[in-house]
Amino acid sequence: MIIFKNLSKIYPPDVAALKNINLHIRPKEFVSIVGRSGTGKTTLVRILIAEESPTKGEIIVGGWDITNIRQSEIPVLRRQIGVVFQDFKLLSKKTVFENIAFALEVCGTDREKIKEIIPQVLKIVGLENKQDRYPRQLSGGEQQRVAIARALVHRPKILVADEPTGNLDAFNTREIVDLLLKINEFGTTVLLVSHNSEVVNSINKRVITLDNGQVSSDQKVGKYLL
Amino acid sequence: MILTSFVRIFLFASQSFWRNIWLSIVTITIIVLTFVSINFLIVINVISGAATQIIENKVDISLYFKPDITEPQVLEVESYLSSLTQVKEIAYVSQKDALEKFRKKHLQDQMIIDSLEELSANPIGATLQVKAKNISDYPAIIGVLDNSKYNQLILDKNFDDHKVYIEKIKSLSDNLKKIGFSLSAVFILIASLIVFNTIRVAIYTHRQEIAVMKLVGATNWFVQGPFLLEAIFYGVIACVLAIIIVYPLIGFVQPHLNNFFLTEEFSLINYFNDNFWLTFGLELLAVILLNIISSSIAIRRYLKV
Repeated sequence: MIIFKNLSKIYPPDVAALKNINLHIRPKEFVSIVGRSGTGKTTLVRILIAEESPTKGEIIVGGWDITNIRQSEIPVLRRQIGVVFQDFKLLSKKTVFENIAFALEVCGTDREKIKEIIPQVLKIVGLENKQDRYPRQLSGGEQQRVAIARALVHRPKILVADEPTGNLDAFNTREIVDLLLKINEFGTTVLLVSHNSEVVNSINKRVITLDNGQVSSDQKVGKYLL
Repeated sequence: MILTSFVRIFLFASQSFWRNIWLSIVTITIIVLTFVSINFLIVINVISGAATQIIENKVDISLYFKPDITEPQVLEVESYLSSLTQVKEIAYVSQKDALEKFRKKHLQDQMIIDSLEELSANPIGATLQVKAKNISDYPAIIGVLDNSKYNQLILDKNFDDHKVYIEKIKSLSDNLKKIGFSLSAVFILIASLIVFNTIRVAIYTHRQEIAVMKLVGATNWFVQGPFLLEAIFYGVIACVLAIIIVYPLIGFVQPHLNNFFLTEEFSLINYFNDNFWLTFGLELLAVILLNIISSSIAIRRYLKV
């Protein structure tokens, strides 16, 4: 599904964010990428969604070599990879429905299709009764669920969650982790980037640990080691 | 799908236009001022061109022959002048007609009329009115005549007075053109900066939406589309307003021009009607192009997400 081959990212003049990363993530896997702040976790995500290009090495997503992806191909890639962030990135002036619809509107999906898809994803994330609320009227956990719903509307094969529980309390954190596990059970490959050991330890799935821009451990059913 | 996307781009552009209405009004005002100043320049150009043309049409050389020169001699000169390439046409005024004209001109002056009565012979010679193809040809025609054997038949020639008028008009219109150019250049510069800034502000207020758009897989043209369309809105609205302002203005000026030129042949309204698409179409195209370039530059950094 996702292959990183000898991947390195060096920011000028000589700051190495990633050094020689070799990883193979299989379809339908749930992988936690852990590590301290500044170890290159977010850089890895940014390279995966083509926000950054690697300095060296290759990256292949679903058989597609995106190492030197063209600008015009980036939208196609991003419709195949759903992304959620710590700060949710919701539009405050749009309702839950509008926020999710926006992701489909900008890609040219027609109105009828949007009306059909959104209730389905809202049901998956458990917000079917809150589609007319504005983000400020929701809890942090609910806002993150809206962000997950938005990431899911394109039915991506990969969902990347970059510190999705960073702004949440323990209860909401558990809910989001359970939701990600549920999405994974539906067949979506999930990449969870986190520095929260409790979250990672509770999942009992593959854990890749990054340290100083390098893979320091890769456990099939692992724990947060740092 | 393309139609759906285009409708959405149109809706997003309209929303942005209305949500930043004051910014839109300022931008449109400046573009309107630019349009008006450019049209002012066009008006100056057209008026000065027409004025020069009207005066040039009135310019000719009058060759006043001595009273004792006979008609065949005058006609020989006429034939000689007709052979010159610079000459467009020649009108012959016989001695009799010349006397009649003189009488009419001085009808109120009894002393002149009485003096004419006392004279037994016609004291006024025949006249040839020579029109050149170009105003610059007159000195050459006069030069040819001065050096010909016919020069001694001629009592007087006039041309210089008109030359002064034409020079004055040309100098005045050149100065007005310079003012018009400077004014237009200033407005074009201000309009470019304001349009650029307006689009930048619009883009800045939408930066969060742009980031989300890019994140969920919107193409660059979809992100950029609303801003480009908004820029086109500014151009079209400003152009319509400029037309609404320019036409009454030229309607107001027209009677004064008729009085000034003592003719109704020249019509600014007709000029603008005849060149409507060329004038306003080109201006609109130029402003839209300018707006598109401005917005493309302004949005570039946000598209790199």
